[in-house]
Amino acid sequence: MIEVKNVTKIYGKKDNAFKALDDVSFTIPIGASVAILGKSGSGKSTLMHIMSGLDKPESGEINIGGRNILALSQKQIDKFRSRSMSFIFQSFFVQAKESCYDNVSLPLEIADVSSSKRRKMIVDALTAVELLDKKKSRARDLSGGQKQRLAVARAIVNSPKILFADEPTGNLDSVTGAIIEDLLFDYNKKNKITLIVVTHDPDLANRCDMQILIKDGKIDRILGAKK
Amino acid sequence: MRTRDIVIRAGRSLKQAKARTILTSLAIAVGAFTITLSLAAGDGGRAYTDKIVSSNADAKEIIVTKEQPSAQKGPQKYSENNASIATPFGSTSVLSQDDINKIKKVNGVVDVIPNYNPQVKYITGENQDKYVATITMFSPSVTLEFAAGSINGDLLDNEIILTEEYVKALGFKNSQDSIGKSVDIVADKLSAPISNPESKTFTYTIKAVSSKSGLAFRAQSSLQVSENSAKSLYNYVNAGTRNYNKFIVAAVRVNDAGSAETVKNELTNMGYFAQTAADILGVVNTFINVLQGILLGFGALAILTSIFGIINTQYISVLERTQQIGLMKALGMRRRDVGRLFKLEAAWIGFLGGAIGSGLAFIAGIVANPYISKALDIGDINLLIFNPVSIVMVIFGLVIVSVVSGILPARKAAKLNPIEALRTE
Repeated sequence: MIEVKNVTKIYGKKDNAFKALDDVSFTIPIGASVAILGKSGSGKSTLMHIMSGLDKPESGEINIGGRNILALSQKQIDKFRSRSMSFIFQSFFVQAKESCYDNVSLPLEIADVSSSKRRKMIVDALTAVELLDKKKSRARDLSGGQKQRLAVARAIVNSPKILFADEPTGNLDSVTGAIIEDLLFDYNKKNKITLIVVTHDPDLANRCDMQILIKDGKIDRILGAKK
Repeated sequence: MRTRDIVIRAGRSLKQAKARTILTSLAIAVGAFTITLSLAAGDGGRAYTDKIVSSNADAKEIIVTKEQPSAQKGPQKYSENNASIATPFGSTSVLSQDDINKIKKVNGVVDVIPNYNPQVKYITGENQDKYVATITMFSPSVTLEFAAGSINGDLLDNEIILTEEYVKALGFKNSQDSIGKSVDIVADKLSAPISNPESKTFTYTIKAVSSKSGLAFRAQSSLQVSENSAKSLYNYVNAGTRNYNKFIVAAVRVNDAGSAETVKNELTNMGYFAQTAADILGVVNTFINVLQGILLGFGALAILTSIFGIINTQYISVLERTQQIGLMKALGMRRRDVGRLFKLEAAWIGFLGGAIGSGLAFIAGIVANPYISKALDIGDINLLIFNPVSIVMVIFGLVIVSVVSGILPARKAAKLNPIEALRTE
C-alpha cells in the first residue's frame, strides 16, 4: 500500500510563495494502475517527484510498505529508488549515443547487479518490448516509438515494485502510443506491480483502475477507489 | 555502483566525445612529452658522465692539488716553501717533492704519481713532416678504445699509443699498418742557454692506435707513453729550471676504492685540495641536474595549463549531459558515484595524455638518439635513456593531477538536482 498523507509543497518564499500541493492525501493499493490526472501546472508532476523521493515536501508523509520514505537518508532513499522504483518520461531520456543494451543496463549497474546476472535480465527486458534485434543499435537510430519501448525495457529490467510513467505517450502518435500503453498495462497486470501514470489525457486515465484528479494543488476527485 | 562499471561508463562517454577528449589530452601530452624527455635526458646525461668519469678516473685514485690561493682572501703572503707556477689563469700553488713525500706517508696511500705531462717540441716519422704533440701518461685504469693494436696491462717504456689523427699525418697507410713502426719525439732542454740550444730525440714503437671515443678526454688528441717514459722526458726537459719537480697535480693511488674517502679527508686536513672520482662525477652531475630541473619546469608549466583545459572540458561535459546525470540520479545513482564517474573521466583523459606524450617522447628519443650522438661526436652512446619506471610514474602522476582537476566539475555534477535536470528538454 502506498499512502500519501497531508503532503504540502511550497515553491518560492514569503510573498512569492506558491502552494504547488496543498494538503494532499490518498491511498493506492499494491498492484493497482493509477492515473494522476490534471492540467499542466496543476501539481501532478510535483506529486510524482515527491512520491518517488526525488523531491521533499514542506510537510506530510509518503508511506510505502509501512515505511515513510521522506524520513530516510539520501543514501537510503537512493538505494530504495534503485531497487524498487523506475521511471518512464515523456521525452524518453534514452542515451542517444549508447547502444540499446547499455541503456537498459544502466539501472542494473546503479543497483549493483553483477555483470553476469545482468545479461539475462537485459535480454529478457529487451525481448518483452520486442527490441532484442536492436540490442547493439545505438538509441539515436531508433524511431520515437522504439525509443519509448527502450525506455520501458529500462524501466522493467530491474523488476520494480512501482513504475512511474510521466506522460508516457505525450510525444507519440496514437498508434505507437497505444502500443506503449498496452505494454505498460500488460506488465502491470502480469507482475502485480503498481503503475502510476501522470497524464492529462483522459483516455489514458480511463484505462487505469483508479484516477486521481488534481486541480490547483488539491485533490479534486478520486475515481475508482475501493474502500 | 561498482567501480568497474563506472570506469567503463566513463571510458564510453569519452569515446562519444572523441575530438574533445583527444584535444584535451593533447594539452597534457605536451607536458608529458617534455617531462619524459627531460627525465630521459637527465638519466642519459648522468649515465654518460658516469661512464666518462669511471673510464677516465679510477676509484682508487685521488687527484690532489695544493689548496687554491683563490680560496683565500686578499693577497697571499710570500713564503719560501709556497712555490707557485704562473698559469694563464693566475699563479697556482704547486706540489713540491716535499709535499709528495708527505702524501706518500699517509695511511692507505700506495703511490703518488705527479702529473708529468712533458712539453715536447714535435713528433715525426721517417722522412715525415713535424707535428706538434701533447704527451700524457698512460694509465691502465683509463678505458681506451683502440682502432688497432691493444694494451695488455701496462705500457712498456719504449712504447707509445698514437691517436687516429696522427696515423695519416705521419704517413702510415692505416692504423693497422702503423703498429710496430717507430716514431720520433723531439724535446728541448729548457735549461740550456738560448745561445746553445740542446734537444734530444726519443724513439718509440707504436703499440696501439686509440680511436675517438665518446668517453675518453685524453684519447682525443694526446699521445700516451708509460709513466717512466713521461718522467724521463720531463726530467730531460725541465731539469735545472725553477719549476723542476714542482707539479700542479698529482694522482694519489690508494690500496682500495673504499679507503679513497678517508685518505681524501686526511689530505684535506693536511691542507691539500683532493678530489675522488665520485667528487668529479658530483660536480658534473650538478650541472646536469640544474639543466634537467629547468626542462622539468617547462613540463610542469605545460601541465599547469592543461589542468585548466581539463576543468573547462569537464564543466562543458557536465552541462551537456545534465539530462543524463538527472536520469542517473532519478534511477537511484548516488551523489558519490556521479562524482566518481566524472573524476574517472578526467583520469582517463590524464592517462591518455600521459600515454600519448610519453609514447611520442619515447619514439622521438629512439629516432633522435643516433643523430644527437653524431652531432655531439660521442660515438655510440645514447644521451636519452628511457626508464620504464619513470614513464609509468609520469603517467600515474598525470592521472592523479587530472583527477584533482576533475574535482570541481565532478562536484557540480554530483550536486545537480535531478528534477531540474529532467525538466530541460
